[in-house]
Amino acid sequence: MTRRVEAVAVVGRDAPLWLAAAAIQRSLGPAGVRVQAVELPSWLASADCYSTLPSLASMHRLLGVDEAKMLRAASGVPVAAQRFSNWAKGAPPYLIAYDDQAGEAGDLPFVQYWLKGHREGLRAGIEDFSLGCVCARAGRVPLGPADTEAKISASYGYNLDARDYAEALKQLVTNRGIEILSGRIADVKLDGERVIGIELEGGERVEADLFVDASGAERVLMMRLPGAEFHSWRDRFSCDRVLTASATQFKSLPAFTQISAFRGGWIGIHPLQDRTAITAVYSSDGISDQTMIAQLSVLARLPVSGEAVVSELKPGLLDRAWIGNCVAIGEAAVAMEPLAAIPLHLAQGCISHLVTLFPATAEEMPEAMPYNDVIRAFASNIADFTQAHYLLNGRFDEPFWEQSREAPATGTLRGKIDLFSARGEVSLRDNETFSEQNWTLLFLGGGIEPDGFDPRIDLLADQPLIELVQQRLRAVAELAKNMPSVDQFVGALGQLQAVGVS
Amino acid sequence: MNQPLQIVILGGGTAGWMAATALVTMLPRQRYSVTLVESEEIGIVGVGEATLPQMKNFNDLLGIDEAEMMRSTQATFKLGIDFVDWGYLGSSYVHPFGVHGPPASGLAFHQRWQRALSAGRDWTIEDFSFAIAAARANRFDFPAAGKSTINSTYAYAYHFDASLYATYLRRIAEGRGATRVEGKVHDVEQDAKGDIQTLLLESGERVEGDFFIDCSGFRSLLLGGKLDVEWEDWSHWLPCDRALPVPTERTGDLTPYTRVTAMKAGWRWRIPLQHRTGNGYVFSSRFIDEDKAREELLASLDEPVLAEPRLLKFQAGRRTKSWERNCVALGLSSGFLEPLESTSIYLMQIAIMHLVPLFPGGRPDARLVAEFNRRMDLEYDRIRDFLILHYHLNSREDGELWRYCRSMQVPDSLTRKIEIFRHSGYIEDYRDGLFNAPSWLSVFLGQGLRPEHYHPLADAIPLERLLAELDELRTDIAFRIDEMPKHATFLKRYADAEAANHSALHKAEARL
Repeated sequence: MTRRVEAVAVVGRDAPLWLAAAAIQRSLGPAGVRVQAVELPSWLASADCYSTLPSLASMHRLLGVDEAKMLRAASGVPVAAQRFSNWAKGAPPYLIAYDDQAGEAGDLPFVQYWLKGHREGLRAGIEDFSLGCVCARAGRVPLGPADTEAKISASYGYNLDARDYAEALKQLVTNRGIEILSGRIADVKLDGERVIGIELEGGERVEADLFVDASGAERVLMMRLPGAEFHSWRDRFSCDRVLTASATQFKSLPAFTQISAFRGGWIGIHPLQDRTAITAVYSSDGISDQTMIAQLSVLARLPVSGEAVVSELKPGLLDRAWIGNCVAIGEAAVAMEPLAAIPLHLAQGCISHLVTLFPATAEEMPEAMPYNDVIRAFASNIADFTQAHYLLNGRFDEPFWEQSREAPATGTLRGKIDLFSARGEVSLRDNETFSEQNWTLLFLGGGIEPDGFDPRIDLLADQPLIELVQQRLRAVAELAKNMPSVDQFVGALGQLQAVGVS
Repeated sequence: MNQPLQIVILGGGTAGWMAATALVTMLPRQRYSVTLVESEEIGIVGVGEATLPQMKNFNDLLGIDEAEMMRSTQATFKLGIDFVDWGYLGSSYVHPFGVHGPPASGLAFHQRWQRALSAGRDWTIEDFSFAIAAARANRFDFPAAGKSTINSTYAYAYHFDASLYATYLRRIAEGRGATRVEGKVHDVEQDAKGDIQTLLLESGERVEGDFFIDCSGFRSLLLGGKLDVEWEDWSHWLPCDRALPVPTERTGDLTPYTRVTAMKAGWRWRIPLQHRTGNGYVFSSRFIDEDKAREELLASLDEPVLAEPRLLKFQAGRRTKSWERNCVALGLSSGFLEPLESTSIYLMQIAIMHLVPLFPGGRPDARLVAEFNRRMDLEYDRIRDFLILHYHLNSREDGELWRYCRSMQVPDSLTRKIEIFRHSGYIEDYRDGLFNAPSWLSVFLGQGLRPEHYHPLADAIPLERLLAELDELRTDIAFRIDEMPKHATFLKRYADAEAANHSALHKAEARL
């Protein structure tokens, strides 16, 4: 006689722990599944910041989280784009806007029309046709839906104070009646590839049918399972250190996160309501932690104050993120540098795949197989997107950047770059996080100049093409002009409906 | 001003004229010219008479008038395929061009249905598919334009006479600027690099080109013959290698679906057209000889025979690359997959649609070639796995072929799909390539594979509510089906070929 999964124990720390516990309870609680959270000591430093994609908003909706409340609690700021500066010597910064839809233009992706226009002398850059980019430059927040007819739209992610956000989520989990145990793991009881139960240092025992490992790089359950293997991506990603610190807040909040390359890595500048979070991601081969800390203010061009904390980064993934009755989510499954604002998105993606593939029985879990496949593809696409920034860098005569240009890349990424270089086209794969438009902004921003375009473009005569492009330029500018500024948006968080956030 | 790039299409069957029409329509004329070389002496392999809904998109894109096309090709509508005797003798299931019920709360519909079954209901999944209900009732109407009602949840395709379709497209392509050259290819010249340069015709005429599209059918004159692209054999998975097509008289009740009936050593198709019915027996010569197959076929037909069956030979598999140097192969010259799921014309169409955006402006660019081949690999592999599923998942005891297929080693990707579906009804979806989750669902269930469990999320819905919603859906479908016109009636009103012929005759007489 088979039995359903009745008890789930989520073991981990910080936001991924709470997101997983809340989401599983929300979806499967009504089906009779009981969720327990086992909270390990936090790894968050006071300066840490979660930089997130717009997808987090849909997770919040699923969990019934009120956006305005959450942003108030976590000192959150909406972000329309990331701005990449100094990734090539002498090149201007480029933007990658979030959830940006370039809109429909005839039968082909808009970039095709732009490519031809560009060849004919059009001066406006691709970013001028992106609502998200235009908003980001003007310090505005793109609220959707913008232009439903032409399908021009954009959305925003957040910068959140990590500790405050995790604390707010913990509150939510508590309010939902989920049992929370806190402490360190003393022992994990195994039966082959299955976890039978865990014992905390305080003596509490937790038994469950399904265990979720949300412990980040510690992989506290996974690494005790026979057959768990961590596959390192260090050959592709040189950075192995993350430093976080703070500076004072911007007087007027920008609508983008700045990602500036320097000779040994990159520095992220994340505006928050009450401070500015700084991240430095670098390779310890090229620069020591002490030097990095000493140079941070100069490199960030902001006076850094307070505590600066360095942590280790080991990019890679578990060959099998689900073994037996234990499922890794987020960094426990896939560890990657936060260049593309993906740490919470990784957790969220894993959680949503876990809910989709929630085991039908407690005894047998063949769902592990498709879960492992889908997580591998999901992670691989994000890793490709992240690595593309490095591969396309134009910083010559610097060992770190030379090495980044020459690092091994997947055939998929090479193929994507090749196709874009030839035709300005993006071919998306299964389980992509980033859209065609994201890849387009990345490739063009990274300096690829396509050799040609879709031949169907020439079916449109020059005059109508110019009109189409100019009309689009005006439409985007007009839409952006009516969006609230970040300061207005943040100022209105107190008055809930005022800015129309839901 | 540069000379336009000269595209030469070799072969004027369905593939050739589809390519010609699409290229003269979608590529700018100042940059490309299209020439098609064909010989009236070479027949068309007209087996692919049933299509998929993508056909309609293709025609729409080319600005083809649907009713006119249907009148010109003796076409009927198609809502799916009825598989008879496949899983086991006496069984029948329809693979519809549509979904089974709408998804709800992030849960595939069939999970709710499975819960209803475990609560004691005896509803079949077919009760929840609008396309299947309409097909079974021999009714047809266009899908509703709104997104919210159940009668918008399907698509349709056509059955048509493929050689008439080729003829119809030829008129359009020539009208739009394609040049047709009559003649048989006697030899092919390559340049120093190995690219194809010239087709030498038996008449002595030389047809030069920059880019060649091989639509020469099974012979694969350019891609296989000249450029030596290897053949990958799939016959260990798909052992059928012969077909005996035979036309019969028009069926009385014009079914809006293709019927494929499993036989001892293969399967038999039945495709209703306006003027006749297409039939044929696809079989494996390893398991039956030709005479016996002919006998079985003739004994099984519903209507009187109009011509003798004629034998076609083939092998399942494909050229390892569809694009090599300055040559792309379309249709049979690039690969062969039996027409069990009406994929032959789809494969031509999708190759054209993948080719157009990547079409070289001059010499082929290796980057574009790689992308095209990647996309086509995916198309072939997905269809291959889906076809194998029909053979592998059977419990027939009446033929050696069925025992062989049941126990053969199938691709790993397929084994895993079957295992997870068996456990919990989970079906993985993918972005590119044919056959989405509803297709897999209908074949899994139809072939007799019932999931052992349903998704726990279905337990989160109160049972009373779940049952009431499903019941309402069944009733809604049944009610709406009763309101639909009969397929034959609808067709007569919309695209009657006979009336069209009559009126053409009247016009001709009037001119005389």
